[in-house]
Amino acid sequence: MRGKSFVLRLTAVFAAAVLALSGSPAGALTVKADPNTTITTSAGLQIPAYSGSPFVAVNGNVPFFTKGELTTKSFEVYSDLDSLGRCGTAYANVCTDTMPTQPRGDIGPVKPTGWHTVKYNGIDGNYLYNRCHLIGFQLTGENANEKNLITGTRYLNVTGMVPFENMVADYVKETGNHVLYRVTPIFTGNDLLADGVLMEAESVEDAGAGILFCVFCYNVQPGITINYADGSSSGPAFTGSDKSTTASTTSSSSKSKTETTTTTTEATYIGNRNTKKFHRPDCPSVKSMSSKNKVSLSSRKEAIADGYTPCKRCNP
Amino acid sequence: MNVICFVDNRYGMRFNGRRLSRDRVLLQRVVELSQGSALWTDSFSRILFPDPPENLVVSENFLEEAPEGAFCLDEDRPLLPVAERIACLYLYCWNRDYPSDEKLDLIPQEQGMELVRTEDFPGYSHEKITLEVWQAR
Repeated sequence: MRGKSFVLRLTAVFAAAVLALSGSPAGALTVKADPNTTITTSAGLQIPAYSGSPFVAVNGNVPFFTKGELTTKSFEVYSDLDSLGRCGTAYANVCTDTMPTQPRGDIGPVKPTGWHTVKYNGIDGNYLYNRCHLIGFQLTGENANEKNLITGTRYLNVTGMVPFENMVADYVKETGNHVLYRVTPIFTGNDLLADGVLMEAESVEDAGAGILFCVFCYNVQPGITINYADGSSSGPAFTGSDKSTTASTTSSSSKSKTETTTTTTEATYIGNRNTKKFHRPDCPSVKSMSSKNKVSLSSRKEAIADGYTPCKRCNP
Repeated sequence: MNVICFVDNRYGMRFNGRRLSRDRVLLQRVVELSQGSALWTDSFSRILFPDPPENLVVSENFLEEAPEGAFCLDEDRPLLPVAERIACLYLYCWNRDYPSDEKLDLIPQEQGMELVRTEDFPGYSHEKITLEVWQAR
């Protein structure tokens, strides 16, 4: 886990917001590392090191939106990937119009920067990383949009971000109001894995009376050491019984101070939305499956929990 | 008195000074539950009722002032200081994870209260809300 504090350059956040609103690429928001291994910038806002809470309030929990940004016109803007292939700010005015009307589709083909398919003991579902929506699917219905998916730990996704997404989604469903919503991944230098995400939201029609927050959610996983330069990691080896092959995560970066360990990796399962069967990716049934019926499933447990049954042909 | 609270999966009640969620079906149930008695609350919760029921009483000291048998809708006040006065606690559970920085301070199990009834029902914006009724022993 990264044990450091870092400082965001507020001007960069504002710039990202303006660029995103105008539809121009905002790029990834980066911070600098100082010689003492803390991330710092010349001026602005300090983010304390992770200390057990999945998020921390930033700027007094007040987002950096300007009054002029508050509008009842719905929109979604996703920054272009930067030169390293990293996501930038995702920005939307969430309302019932932007919410999904179809079940979530396949996002498996997207491999965000820093991606590793790796499992450890002690993590819900065992997978360290999720393809983590910047703006949650339940808010804007984005599926395999590479501009909206980062590599995020299970902890960032489920414990950090989802509760905020739930709060916004339920508020919109109940009131029919708009919520201005912006998520900015924060990368250090040329790291491929984000340190975390800055999440900002403000309900429009009631001027923030219903929803108002500005938080930083940490891209950490308790018990796991992560090299943010490339997403490699180490931790308690997975000792489960599934039939996957084993491989090592490797790190070529001098930033990593921990040795990587041999861990178990697993190909994503493919579900068939029509038959409700799930398959190994190399199962012949997958080749003949209509793309609109394909669903990426990150684990056997998830597949079964979602109502899928194993294919008798490939016996996943 | 009978206290009504809304909580998420971690007994969260508010975040950044705001309620975690709301649901019009749930509010209608609260009104129906309190019919025949007074429904006490404070100004924070008063705005949930744009057309306030006739039995609504608003006071910033409602937990201290509400008489025996009254219902108190509490979204933002600690309950431990008045725990001795609580005969029944109606917990409406969102069955959702929300962020929270203010949580219910009175955990009924820890107070020795007895769970006497549970009921699931669909809300307007929530698939399933669960009512837990806890009684003081």
